[in-house]
Amino acid sequence: MALKSGGLQRKSKASHDIPSSSMADIAFLLLIFFMVSTVFQTDKNRNIEWAEAEATEKIDEKQKNILNIWVEPNGDVYISDALRPLDQVSSIIAPLYRDNRNLVVSIRSDRTVPYRFVDAVQQELVAAGVVRVVFATELERNITRERR
Amino acid sequence: MAVMGNKKSKVSDEIPSSSMADIAFLLLIFFLVTTTFPKDKGLAIVLPESEETVEVSQKNILHIIVNMDGRVTIKRGESQQEQTVRAADVERIWRQDVTENPLLIAAVKTHPEAPYRFMIDVLDALQSAGSERISIQMLES
Repeated sequence: MALKSGGLQRKSKASHDIPSSSMADIAFLLLIFFMVSTVFQTDKNRNIEWAEAEATEKIDEKQKNILNIWVEPNGDVYISDALRPLDQVSSIIAPLYRDNRNLVVSIRSDRTVPYRFVDAVQQELVAAGVVRVVFATELERNITRERR
Repeated sequence: MAVMGNKKSKVSDEIPSSSMADIAFLLLIFFLVTTTFPKDKGLAIVLPESEETVEVSQKNILHIIVNMDGRVTIKRGESQQEQTVRAADVERIWRQDVTENPLLIAAVKTHPEAPYRFMIDVLDALQSAGSERISIQMLES
């Protein structure tokens, strides 16, 4: 055996490369972790029937700029999953609107709710200074209109 | 030379698995890109500012009164003449009237006990007709 300089230049048996065969597994693990730990901020779906309108348009606004107000058939008003008395709606929305001038309020009302509840919500919104309002509706198909 | 049938094939028996991760990522990215979330939809309207009151001459107002049973009463400006129509007819009436008077404003007045959808039907008809000047009120008894 002819070792040069006391075997210092002996080749190491360990590979120089970082093992890359498990990289994909690590990536998937991270991906699945973030998928599972992500929560979307959504309201609970209330049991309401949408009003239908042919002129329904998509609201081109970021999700965080949209505030949903739910009006149930008996006149209950829910904001962010909490039942609110009608006369407090403006005092709840006014600070939100002050923080975010782009706020769009979507009135999600049951189709059978008496109009005075919707009007009361509207008056509250005007008092809070909100100007951009959407009446949430389903797109009405022509077939349903002909059947009526 | 051995018998032909016993010759070992040089092609590997296994499906190559080194590119499996690439295929998986490709699929993942494809679905990420093609996914669309359902957007909010509805009838957009701009409410007036709270201090804002605009004086409008009566002749520029088209009164649209939504009754409890869904019938719609049309009253033009100061004239006492009333006309009862279906909600779907409002679209045609608005188109006719607005060509005669481009300054026309639609004042939708809904009976307090009328179901919300009747008001939406009228609002739908107005927006289908391209109306932008809409005032929404509650009918005062």
